[in-house]
Amino acid sequence: MLYEKLIKLYPSLTPQDFSPNGGTIILQNDSDGKGDYIKEWEHSTLAKPTDEELA
Amino acid sequence: MAQISIAGDTSGAITIAAPSVAGTNTLTLPAATGTVLTSASTQVTGPAFSAYSNSNQSLTASAFNKILFQVSEFDTNSNFASSKFTPTVAGYYLINTRLAAGPFNGECVLTFYKNGAIYKYSQDISLSTNYSLHGSALIYCNGSTDYIEIYVYAGSATTTASSNSAYTWVQGYLARSA
Repeated sequence: MLYEKLIKLYPSLTPQDFSPNGGTIILQNDSDGKGDYIKEWEHSTLAKPTDEELA
Repeated sequence: MAQISIAGDTSGAITIAAPSVAGTNTLTLPAATGTVLTSASTQVTGPAFSAYSNSNQSLTASAFNKILFQVSEFDTNSNFASSKFTPTVAGYYLINTRLAAGPFNGECVLTFYKNGAIYKYSQDISLSTNYSLHGSALIYCNGSTDYIEIYVYAGSATTTASSNSAYTWVQGYLARSA
């Protein structure tokens, strides 16, 4: 799952970073069989990971 | 049947007819300029739909998951498809939804999406049990490109409960034309 990959890549991330209440990262799943993806990434210090980093 | 007919300036006519039933009734027109509604007016016949989910759906953790509603109970204007409501009549639509899911283990937020983006958050809970989320929102749609979907943010991986039409559903109707 994408969430677990991101936590592994950036251990400093917490559930709050993904929360609709104050989070800065939005993960989305359109239930179309394509899985989770990063809809928005506005974290103040961590860069949006590349596809290679998430592979 | 007694009736009054008013001919149009160039063509056509409007006929006001009294029904052939006993009793006296009074039709009072408003003291205002406007158009009288009829049973064929958009405000009366505007789109309405109801759909539900017929299979459990896995929700991935810490993501907004689109909820699938595979079965249409009614769809008066054929505007609901692929779990998406795209009304072809402009106006303000009241959308109601319920999602049964669980067990939750963290925050869950029922969310109305408009045109593929977060539009209105609804019920927001944080608990570790089975639960149902309810939501309602009044959403303007332009009658051509605007569409509405239902998503849920799941703080942990879980599944929806969708064994019949009562569990996980969405309904909507035109509350006011544009």
